[in-house]
Amino acid sequence: MKVTYKWLKDFVDIEDSAEQLAEKLTNAGLEVEELIFQNKHLHHVKVGKIIKIQKHPDADKLQVCQVSLGNEGNVQIITAATNIFEGAVVPVSLPGADLVNGVKIQKSKLRGVESEGMFCSGEELGIDDSYIDGASVNGILILPNDFVLGQNIDEALGLDDVIFDVNITPNRPDCMSVIGIAREVCAIYGKPFKKPDFKYITIAERACDKISVERKSGSCSRYMAAVIKNVKIQKSPDWMRRRLFAVGIKSINNIVDATNYVLIEMGQPLHAFDKSKIEGNTIIVRDAFEGEKISVLNHNTYSLSKSDLVIADKNKALVIAGVIGGTDSCINDNTTSVVIESAVFDLKSVRLTSKKIGVRTDSSARYEKGVYFGSAEQGIKRMLSLVCQLGMGDILSGIVDKFDENPMQRKISCTCKEIDEILGVEIPQEDIKRILNGLGVECQIDNGIINAKVPPYREDLENGYDLSEEIIRIYGYDVYDNVKTRLFEKSTVTEGGLDDKTALERKLKNALVYNGFFEALNYSLCPPDICEKLNIQDNRRFMVKIANPIGEEISCLRTCMAHSLLSNVAYNFSVGNKLVDLFDAGRTYAPNSLPLTDLPAESNWISLISTTKDFAEFKACVLAAVEESGLKYHLVRSAQPFLHPGVSADIVDENGKVYASFGQIHPVVAKNYGVPKSCMYGQINLDELLPFKDKTFVVKPVSKFPIVERDLAVVVKEEISNADLMAAIKSACGKIFYDVNLFDIYRSQALGEGYKSMAYNIKLSDDKTLTDEEVTDVMAKVLKALKFRYGATLR
Amino acid sequence: MQEKLKMLSEQAKAELKEVKDVASLNNFKVKYLGKQGLLTEILRGMRDLPAEQRPVIGALVNQVRQDIENQTAQKQAEFDKMELEKELAKNFIDITEPAKGHEKGALHPLSKVFDLLIDSCVAMGFKVVEGPEVELDYFNFEALNIPKNHPSRDMQDTFFVTDNILLRSQTSSVQARAMQTLKPPFKIISPGRVYRNDSDATHSPVFHQMEGLVIDENISMADLKSMLTVLMRRTFGEQTQIRFRPSFFPFTEPSVEVDVTCPSCHGEGCRLCKGTGFMELLGAGIVNPKVLEENGIDSKKYRGFAFGFGVDRVAMVKNSISDIRSMFKNDIRFLKQMK
Repeated sequence: MKVTYKWLKDFVDIEDSAEQLAEKLTNAGLEVEELIFQNKHLHHVKVGKIIKIQKHPDADKLQVCQVSLGNEGNVQIITAATNIFEGAVVPVSLPGADLVNGVKIQKSKLRGVESEGMFCSGEELGIDDSYIDGASVNGILILPNDFVLGQNIDEALGLDDVIFDVNITPNRPDCMSVIGIAREVCAIYGKPFKKPDFKYITIAERACDKISVERKSGSCSRYMAAVIKNVKIQKSPDWMRRRLFAVGIKSINNIVDATNYVLIEMGQPLHAFDKSKIEGNTIIVRDAFEGEKISVLNHNTYSLSKSDLVIADKNKALVIAGVIGGTDSCINDNTTSVVIESAVFDLKSVRLTSKKIGVRTDSSARYEKGVYFGSAEQGIKRMLSLVCQLGMGDILSGIVDKFDENPMQRKISCTCKEIDEILGVEIPQEDIKRILNGLGVECQIDNGIINAKVPPYREDLENGYDLSEEIIRIYGYDVYDNVKTRLFEKSTVTEGGLDDKTALERKLKNALVYNGFFEALNYSLCPPDICEKLNIQDNRRFMVKIANPIGEEISCLRTCMAHSLLSNVAYNFSVGNKLVDLFDAGRTYAPNSLPLTDLPAESNWISLISTTKDFAEFKACVLAAVEESGLKYHLVRSAQPFLHPGVSADIVDENGKVYASFGQIHPVVAKNYGVPKSCMYGQINLDELLPFKDKTFVVKPVSKFPIVERDLAVVVKEEISNADLMAAIKSACGKIFYDVNLFDIYRSQALGEGYKSMAYNIKLSDDKTLTDEEVTDVMAKVLKALKFRYGATLR
Repeated sequence: MQEKLKMLSEQAKAELKEVKDVASLNNFKVKYLGKQGLLTEILRGMRDLPAEQRPVIGALVNQVRQDIENQTAQKQAEFDKMELEKELAKNFIDITEPAKGHEKGALHPLSKVFDLLIDSCVAMGFKVVEGPEVELDYFNFEALNIPKNHPSRDMQDTFFVTDNILLRSQTSSVQARAMQTLKPPFKIISPGRVYRNDSDATHSPVFHQMEGLVIDENISMADLKSMLTVLMRRTFGEQTQIRFRPSFFPFTEPSVEVDVTCPSCHGEGCRLCKGTGFMELLGAGIVNPKVLEENGIDSKKYRGFAFGFGVDRVAMVKNSISDIRSMFKNDIRFLKQMK
């Protein structure tokens, strides 16, 4: 919302500078995002009159002009402009000027002749024809003859205002107007509010005899219409055009400008119809017909539906209510009779229509935030007073006014104690009273009880919490700068703690960090084709899709973690980082059905990837992480479609439930992502591990008797696994088994193709000293078992 | 005899001085202390002495032997020490050689900051609660006093999946869920991932927030101030100050923006904070009683405060990261700097 310093001054006396005011407004919750000085680039530009023009002695296209600056003396200026003449009054930029287009003026010589400045175009002053005639021409701006020579151009053109660009929060639609912000200024400074001029004179003819209004939709709670006849369409006066220009509104003609002026000043959107175009002299407020078409002022034609509200006559829609006017009934140079609309439309209806057709106007911006019931009346009366003041036409008596019930004035009752308890600081009662009254909230305080009457434009104020905010923002939040309350001084002690998932996740992450992995951070959004790239054909193909994505690359929610890390490795390779060990903690999202009818199942995972480790090293890292939980697991071959079937494993419990999968990436997937074939990938389902979050230990006493060690090397076929052999050794040793470790694998031609030698170190222990005989006996059993079950031979 | 012993002692002393290595020390030992050594020879000569002199000479011989032995032992210790030093000097390795396969990795800067924030809050009595990222419109908006088609929805651009299901645009959704399931008084924080339809150097469509909610009987803006002061001091250092500015959020009333003194200049004004000395970091306020009621908490009895902020931004400020997108690129050269 843009307002100007001078416009605000119409309604409140301000002594502070614009900068001081901006700071105070920001501190009161009306954040001034930008303070624009209209004359920032107009210093060293003055009004001058060209007295004499001569040809430049050495350049065909240049002219040497003698320019009078009145009391400021004369200057010589060389120009290439062609639209100048002797006697023309023009803007002259002098040495030191710093124009809006970045041009800096200094004395210079052009082809040997001195020039002490430059004539300016409208564009160089930042204005166009809607501000002053001639400003849009391609050439020098020719000023009216009555301008005072030597005067600074900002004063001469009235470009000496300061514009406040204020960020209005959605709870304050009343501040989408000059008077709204002025009321805040009054409250901040404790100054009285100077009411706008609502006076006007009417003729005897009655508006209700010329126009009738039918309200046929619940989306319009009030519709007011005034009629003006003998209208002379012409230009608005300079002061109005200047103010509109300052807040970014183009001047059109006196009627339209006045409606816009009221919109900015009062916050009430108005619409002006050419009365002759309203067929049947009847205005009908109704829902649009399905497919009803209307051509509007932005040169587009829209097809409407029942949810859109229109203002129509007997035959057709004239206006998309609250959003934009139609071309047919708009004011034109031949208009002589005008109907002014001032209405209250439902904010949701306007918002929906505006969003749907993609048209946002100053009017819709106000309606969709909420225009209050009384605003319509104030707006139309202010309009009529401008019509009267500027002699735009004859106002018919009476305003047609169709409305639902006038809403009751809201009252709030709360105690000063409640306010102090919410704020945690004591605000003196007289300050509470002063602030609320300053904001237009009439209030009485008796025995610590506040009785407040909320003004109609403050629909956001409902209870003591709302009042406490009003009080503190005007009183000043800096009061907290000196508040030094002890932490949770008056509240209950509560037990803090991590949730199970966060606690376990931290342990696993740390295990990976200590194994050399770096944590990656990935979007959980992905492109729709990841399952094809990952060779996945199961339910994971069904992904949740975003209805309004930014781009296809991030249009779906991942159902598998692998995509993210594989992409990270591919990226790192592309920039020359070949050694990549990464892990990622994040979620996958599995829909129960598509399209979604309920929330998808979200699972927490830790995934990891490595280009530096072989299978065994990578396995050690995965297990180090999984073993942060108390899961009792074993390994089986994995069937994950994105892993190499021969070089991958699942971590399962005794029931075969899978907790993690890892191994070399499937060669096809490696190719799809452009990562090396030897790349290792793993994923751990954190949620499934949660039941095992607590690792418990039962420590057995250490045996007093010595451990006996024996080494045993057997030759077996390649397909016999280490785990099988170790399990067989353990079971054959029986109760004196203590530990077994594979210490060597050996392959040679002598052993034969498809055979390997596996050498184990076996440790035996008992609660007595083992005899040689017992040990020999057990070792014989072991060998026998290995022979019998796995065809092993002693090497 | 005594003369002889004295001479022998002196001769040994002089000779020992000349011993320069272990071999000559051994020869020396044999020469004086050995079975055929000079001292033994003197002892043998004792037989010729009169009986009354024998004990005197005997004691003298023993003393001379003792002296020589002590001096020899001392010499031996010197040689041992030299030998050890020689040995140690020979065993020399390059201490800068890498330990292959044993380098540590590192957490992402975001995780480090999350851990710090979470631990700080846990120490103040907050429990960590997480919620779904794919969320019902109801919890993300309506339960937080943001009705459908309300202008306050424009404050954030939301990704929708269906009319009623969306990617949460704020971790505040967990506030509503917590209020509906937990019994007051309670303090919770909810760290997590949020989504907005927005992407440039300072906005990522996926980013992270941490939400805090305290519901109790005597909660005020002053408590909010003291709690956030502690949290921000733990995050940015002990000299950190915070200040409130008025703002608007549909679920808090009063609502404030919380500025934190710039961690780079501590309020003096520098380039990072554009000369203001402060950084706008959090949104906070007293929980709107309408929100309490909507979520089943008696607003006559309980009051609460809530706060929320972007954690990526905190991680960026703390680690001098200027582009939020670099946080999600996972370039090893970026991540290695967190070691």
